[in-house]
Amino acid sequence: MEFTLPTLTIGATTLALITTSCSDSGASGPNLVNRKLSENENSFRLVETSAERFRYQLTPSNPSGSEGSGTSNSANQIGLTYSTPDGWTKTPGSPMRDVNLSFGTNGEGECYVARLPGMGGGLLANVNRWRQQMGASPITQAEADALPVRPLFGQPAKFISVDGKFSGMGATEGKDDYRMLGLILASEAGAVFVKMTGPRKLVEANEKNFNIFTNSLDVGP
Amino acid sequence: MANKKTQEKETSLLKVLYKFFTSFKLATVVFVLMTIVTLFGTLAQVEMGLFAAKEKYFHSVWIIDEIGNFPVFLPGGGLLMAFLFINMSLGAVVKVKKRWKGAGTLISHIGMLMLFGGAFVTWGLGTDGYMALYPGMKSDRVESYRKWQLEVMPLNDDASADEVWILPADELSSIRPRSPRSYTTDDLPFEIIVSDYSPNAIPTPITAPMAAGSAAREIDGFKLLPQQKAKEAAANIPGCYVEFKPKSGDSDNISAILSAYSFRFDPGESPMPFVFELEGQKFGALIAKKSWHIPFEVQLDEFIFDRHPGISMARNYESRVTRLETDKGAKPLEIKMNEPMRYEGYTFFQESFGPAGSQPGDRMYSQFAVANNPADQWPLWALVVTSIGLGVHFVIMLLDYMARSRKKRIQAAS
Amino acid sequence: MKLQFFLLLTLIVGISSLTSAREVPQVELGSYDPWDSKVVETFENLLMQESGRVKPIYSYSRFTLLQFSGKTSLRFGTKDGETHELHYSEWMLDVLFRGNVAKALPVFVVDNSAAIVQIGVSPKEKRDRYSYDEIVSGRAKLAELSAQYGEKQRKHTESEKDPQYELDPIEGMILTLGRNISAFEFLVGQFSFARKGQLLVNENILPQEMVALAATLDPVAIIDKMPEMSIQQLGRAIQQPDNGDEDARMFTSALRLFFFYANSARGINLFPPQENDNEIWLSASDAMLEGLESKEARPWAVEQLRELQNVIEASTQGTETFSAALAAFSDSQRAKADARGEGEHSALEVHLYRGKYFSYALYLFVFGFIILATSWFSPASKFGRVMVLIASLLALAGLLLDISGITLRSIIRDRPPITNLYDTVIFITATAVLLGLIIEYFTRIGVGALIAIVSGMLGMFLSIKYEAKEATDTITQLVAVLDTNFWLATHVTIINIGYAAGLVSAIIGMLYLAARFVLNLVGKEAKDFVKLLTRMNYGVVCFCLFFSLVGTVLGGIWANYSWGRFWGWDPKENGALMICIWTLVILHGRMAGWIRDLGIHMNGIILGIIVTFSWWGVNNLGVGLHSYGFTEGVWNSLYKSWGVMGIFLLMGIWLYIDDRAKKTAKKAERNSKETDPQVNSA
Repeated sequence: MEFTLPTLTIGATTLALITTSCSDSGASGPNLVNRKLSENENSFRLVETSAERFRYQLTPSNPSGSEGSGTSNSANQIGLTYSTPDGWTKTPGSPMRDVNLSFGTNGEGECYVARLPGMGGGLLANVNRWRQQMGASPITQAEADALPVRPLFGQPAKFISVDGKFSGMGATEGKDDYRMLGLILASEAGAVFVKMTGPRKLVEANEKNFNIFTNSLDVGP
Repeated sequence: MANKKTQEKETSLLKVLYKFFTSFKLATVVFVLMTIVTLFGTLAQVEMGLFAAKEKYFHSVWIIDEIGNFPVFLPGGGLLMAFLFINMSLGAVVKVKKRWKGAGTLISHIGMLMLFGGAFVTWGLGTDGYMALYPGMKSDRVESYRKWQLEVMPLNDDASADEVWILPADELSSIRPRSPRSYTTDDLPFEIIVSDYSPNAIPTPITAPMAAGSAAREIDGFKLLPQQKAKEAAANIPGCYVEFKPKSGDSDNISAILSAYSFRFDPGESPMPFVFELEGQKFGALIAKKSWHIPFEVQLDEFIFDRHPGISMARNYESRVTRLETDKGAKPLEIKMNEPMRYEGYTFFQESFGPAGSQPGDRMYSQFAVANNPADQWPLWALVVTSIGLGVHFVIMLLDYMARSRKKRIQAAS
Repeated sequence: MKLQFFLLLTLIVGISSLTSAREVPQVELGSYDPWDSKVVETFENLLMQESGRVKPIYSYSRFTLLQFSGKTSLRFGTKDGETHELHYSEWMLDVLFRGNVAKALPVFVVDNSAAIVQIGVSPKEKRDRYSYDEIVSGRAKLAELSAQYGEKQRKHTESEKDPQYELDPIEGMILTLGRNISAFEFLVGQFSFARKGQLLVNENILPQEMVALAATLDPVAIIDKMPEMSIQQLGRAIQQPDNGDEDARMFTSALRLFFFYANSARGINLFPPQENDNEIWLSASDAMLEGLESKEARPWAVEQLRELQNVIEASTQGTETFSAALAAFSDSQRAKADARGEGEHSALEVHLYRGKYFSYALYLFVFGFIILATSWFSPASKFGRVMVLIASLLALAGLLLDISGITLRSIIRDRPPITNLYDTVIFITATAVLLGLIIEYFTRIGVGALIAIVSGMLGMFLSIKYEAKEATDTITQLVAVLDTNFWLATHVTIINIGYAAGLVSAIIGMLYLAARFVLNLVGKEAKDFVKLLTRMNYGVVCFCLFFSLVGTVLGGIWANYSWGRFWGWDPKENGALMICIWTLVILHGRMAGWIRDLGIHMNGIILGIIVTFSWWGVNNLGVGLHSYGFTEGVWNSLYKSWGVMGIFLLMGIWLYIDDRAKKTAKKAERNSKETDPQVNSA
């Protein structure tokens, strides 16, 4: 039949097309290819360590400066000064915390300051994480935005006050009738968290101290 | 339409094949299998992601799958498509009797063949990639979504480079674990030995628990830990070990882990190469996106991002750009959703924007998908031809039906 | 005959059980004073901006009540023995202006009383509706549990559906109830700023020292007295150490109260913004804060708040006063909106929902079904033919209502008919009914009418169910990709016509199987009837192919045109492709001689399964670009529909085996008579 030739040709080409496009196409052999770089793409950022190269350390933005506002996360290297309110004592905290204080007869009240680079996860997430620790329902972004503000490092920080059953990190059983006071300052330069927890009555009695403490906080040597 | 010319009894192999490939039965079987493969390939996307499912089900010759623990063998999408193509060309176009009544079906099948043809051309000759720019930036290079290559460049004092030597993506990705390969060129004073390439790997500090248990080689406090491939192929972060062996033989080999983490995540960044010094010259080495040149430059002048009032849903985003050509000068243009820029065979689509989590008022970049497809308009013409064919066919059928029922009514009346 | 009687009886019983009145819940109110109709009318035409769209408060009320109670109206009895039925806008009036009444009304639906028991409230029926007052004793427990489950749900989403975080139905109910109760509290407390300290919900939320102040303070008056300071500065001012100065203490207390009110008054965006280029409408809260922060905005903010305050204060001063105040507010708002060119279709939107187009269409289809069923008593008689005609006309009327509803929705949002999943339901229904009626026009044997009526009933029922289940506005904004009228009008419309045809094919297939099972089909007439069904189905399959294919390829062209790839094997694309391919299976299988009558109908049912999969199923796989509608709980309904179609397929297989057995028997008989060469069956 006269159609058999085209049959085979079409069939063979189709199959050939399919098989070639399924295998790795066109390996160009073990040769290095040279290319000139244009000025749009010829600048590199030289970093000292592997940690930086693999983005484990946040470092000031690149020298080309095209990333917009240069964010600085140097807050972590700067120390803090503060005055310890009467009846409060310094206690060893976790490495995450810059300041760790306790109060109350058995030290059941706790207050700490922590700083994180960047926005620290954002205001809403942190507020809701704290609220969740107190067994309170999460709030919306709009509600978080409308939280009252108090000064911290001379800037407006969101103030949170929640009563409830406190179950902090790693706690298996919650503690009833607790109160949490917190300040969150989230800016591009970094986030600061101040959090005080304790039995409600104790925290109530220490709210003034909390204000004294937060007002005294400053960056220093 | 049975082939009634069966009086010739001799059955040559070719004739049997011809009959097989032109039969309605083959078409039906292929269609049923295609439906099954499409269904499997769709459901599989939930588990394995679009790209892997595409490769396994639709771009394949064979599929081996499991339902429960029961292995199932299916022909792959590629094979089915080939059969269908042959069946359609021979059965519906070559073999079919050319009658007026069959004109509609003939035309519609030709339209479908055009669609297939377009698909083949796109597959073989089309390229697609992207270009991401912050306002004020310009570029004439398009980057691949998921192909990575190894680049080595001599560095100038100001951290710039004039040229790079590239180990192409296909070569790089073919390097398997425990089989290092060596590359060299006369222009570089060292050999490059690449090993343990992994399409998705995290350079992990040895202090991390998951690094402690791994047998991977440690360099400068890091191990390269291979990961499962990401569901979205573009989310893979490849990495490899590399050694630079000085040709002079005087000094020791220099080894490093290279990871795509050092490439830019954001068009505003500059890549961070591994830097080493040999014979007084600084060199950088990098895993970078494969990229290619286009014959004009595109500069982003402004990116406009608009949300629906009061909610975060994007209403519209568009880019004001200038197209720059050395001989033809500058031309300002707009690229927005559903309104791409088509020029010299390249099409720029407004694809997305970033960085992720940008708030209103933040400085944002705009990302264009850049496609080059010679068969760009074929589907449209194929559709026109097919719809005409189907339309003609159905009209003929309807007229035929009406004529017959009138005849019947007349018969019934008499 | 017996069978037809049985059918009819079932139908009547079914319908009467649906419409039978349920027991009216009694509420703890001595009496209920209904709202004046003029007040209601003015109120429901007020405009607000929500979900990126300016709409009448009417629509907002509708979907809020739907979300709380699963219904759009509310029936209850008061202690004076009266029974009241409230429309959603009347209910919303109670919520906003008579919080104490609203709190006594049973609107919160709980599907399983186990959820109610868990929050320590005494349960009523297994599925029942509770008032806020009934739930309030378990409020704290509810807040605790719903926070816990909300967190669990979040983890479930974040972990990409890790089963350990999956909420069980009771937990889901508690979470929903918790959210609804919060939303309700927000609405009731919304206008507290104009109520002189009357909060109506969470009364103990104000610190003791502020309660006295609240009774006298006018927060709007404060705005003008404030020094110009940023919210942050004011916030700091509140924190100034208390130095014993009475004035300073007054100031900080007043400011705190102001912030408290502003915080409560968020969500209902009633004020068109002052600047013309600003698109975001403001709530009372926004106006309060804006006025506080910027001196320029003060006169404007105070004016807006005063207008609203007048309405709220008037609400307690008798119908006349309230009606006048509401009208004044409405006129002022309308004038501003008109000037901005917004809210122009709000009256039409009220009309759309008030007209209940889709409910009435459903009634017409159901009525048509009853009429049609009577024709089965004697199909060939004149009576039968007249009944079929009447049923067809009823179906036509239902179709016209459906089309009117679709048209109104298109006008309201200024878009082609289909922009979201809900739209596809009413559109596909209209197409299927139309197809059925066209078939009826050509064949005149009642089958087309039956197809039209069955599709109409199913479709309208589904649309009403879907709306109640989602309980969110079905006139939605579009994501940027879909923001193109040309492609919405072409690709989306055409592909949905294809879906409709595929479903009609399945309905014909099921009718065929039902007919062969139920009716004893013998003789030439029966054969002709079956042949006609087959031809019908074949025609519908061709129709389906044409529209699915054109629609699918158009979709590809759109994709190529808009983001540079013709085909991406995206689930929705694959769904459409499978529909095209399966129609091709039917057409080519017929040419190959593999399928005839039974085969075409069974494959039509498979086509229907594929259509439902790509219409609803793929959206819920959670992958792909066409994520314009994700719906919880769709799989269950899908499985049910597939189960029904699967039963028909089994019936078909049984018939196939039966047919073959008969054929072989016949053949054997014939073979024994004469030894013919084999007949070529191709």
